[in-house]
Amino acid sequence: MAQFALVIDLNTCVGCHACATNCKEWNTQAAFGPLSDFDPYGKEPHGVWYNRIMTYEMGEFPNTQVFHLPKSCLHCQDAPCVPVCPTGASYKREQDGIVLVNYDDCIGCKLCSWSCPYGCREFDEADKVMKKCTLCIDRIYDESLPPEHRKPACVLTCPAKARFFGDIEDPNSEVYRVIKERNGFVLFPDMGTNPANHYLPRTETKVHIDEHILKHDNPLFLEVLRRHHVGG
Amino acid sequence: MHPPISLIWFFLTAGTSIGLFTFTYFMEFLSLFGKNTSMPREAVILSLIISLVLIGLGAIGASFHLGHKLRAWKAIRRFHTSWLSREAVFSGAYGFSLFLYGLSYYFNASPFLQHSLGILTFILGWLSAFSTAMIYASNRFVLEWHTSLTVLYYLNMYLMLGSSAFLSLTFFYRPEFIPTYLFLTFLFVSLGLAFRIAHNVRQVLISRPTINEALNLPHNRPIRVLDTGTTTDNYCTTEFYYKKGKDLLGSVLPVAYILTFVVPLFLVLYSWITGNYNYNFYKITFASLLIGSFLERWCFFVEGNHVQNLFYGLYPEEGYRLRKGYMERKKTVIRL
Repeated sequence: MAQFALVIDLNTCVGCHACATNCKEWNTQAAFGPLSDFDPYGKEPHGVWYNRIMTYEMGEFPNTQVFHLPKSCLHCQDAPCVPVCPTGASYKREQDGIVLVNYDDCIGCKLCSWSCPYGCREFDEADKVMKKCTLCIDRIYDESLPPEHRKPACVLTCPAKARFFGDIEDPNSEVYRVIKERNGFVLFPDMGTNPANHYLPRTETKVHIDEHILKHDNPLFLEVLRRHHVGG
Repeated sequence: MHPPISLIWFFLTAGTSIGLFTFTYFMEFLSLFGKNTSMPREAVILSLIISLVLIGLGAIGASFHLGHKLRAWKAIRRFHTSWLSREAVFSGAYGFSLFLYGLSYYFNASPFLQHSLGILTFILGWLSAFSTAMIYASNRFVLEWHTSLTVLYYLNMYLMLGSSAFLSLTFFYRPEFIPTYLFLTFLFVSLGLAFRIAHNVRQVLISRPTINEALNLPHNRPIRVLDTGTTTDNYCTTEFYYKKGKDLLGSVLPVAYILTFVVPLFLVLYSWITGNYNYNFYKITFASLLIGSFLERWCFFVEGNHVQNLFYGLYPEEGYRLRKGYMERKKTVIRL
């Protein structure tokens, strides 16, 4: 069975938020919009986003690595948000594995968001329904678009080409290949949700220091020494 | 978790309704075995009216936490998978069955019909209570709730509310049962206290996941949240992390303990031991239980930590125990 998903390369993601803003731009005026905003130009702007980018620092100084984690609905293969929905508004499509919310049936009880360990569902205070990433289902099946544009808005806009989209169950797909070749991993594997979205691991940057940099007459010598010898 | 007042309201109203009906019908049921336990007719009718009004008010109040109240009927569709759906079905069925039982009692229908409806109402009421408790207990992402203790405690709270409310009825209509209901109230409040203490102790002992597990990264490296992507709070940080509540929890929890357990236990024990059957004691006991339970439920929500808070660095690390096999986490030391 097909399972559409995103694969995000943490090695190339630069945390520019272009995916989040393009997602917002597309979805707020598309079939699953609007993504309501409150006080957008004020002191405390807030609203619905399908995609949020977190930034983390890993390791101990000075050997730290900063990485960015774009996080949208992971379209879990055992989605815990689906069975808890009392109305059946949350459902997982059999043909492509995309988890969607039927706004006409959603009563806004928020129980699905309580049952998502990733915090990927957001309640729209204006529409009073739960909203979430749709993998731009209105784009990927839109035959009026050229085939190369039938991808989620976040994938199309990523300037670092860190996002891939496709069927992770199809051995011929690009996403299947990158997951296998580059050890794609999922968030919170212990939660039994079997997420479809995968991440490609961050490769730690190795700093190679040439001998001539360590000469005493190098004006940066002290800085290099401090950073890489004393501290480590 | 952010405490929804409407759900706490439903707990109090449904709890008192189901608890009160349980003891009212229990007394009727015992009369089947030749015991002279039936309450006078006006007491039963009064109790049934209170139960019916309370479950009605509870259902209306609970709908206030819904985004679309008029679509609430759709909640019956996923009965086979959703505890919320089951709660909606059983609560509605309980209310309807209670109404029919009230009618059969009022119009002196045949004892068979009365007791059939009474037993049905009793079962539906407790199924409703169980379903409500399971909404919390089945949520495996809030570890504080994900335990059978939540269900036991929840059901016991209904009995606490019911027995203390029924105590006032016995004072006016069957004073000879006051000691019995003093004992039952004492029993359920004591059990409640034990369950609540266990609930609090368990929070310290549970093995919590770490941000490393959330991000599926090596467990021997410290990870810090640098940026959560927005300059202000969002749905996830307000719904799953109630900062104001967390700040107040240390003050509210002791008050909840005092009002829910200490005051009722003291009054009930005093009345029981001294034989001083004063209505004011029972009035204050029930009022204290009601206010205390409100605060206790508020604390129950605020105490709940959703695992998605890990992504925002808002998950507690207190009580965190290293899991076997993982390297000890090192503190970040900045050396110059």
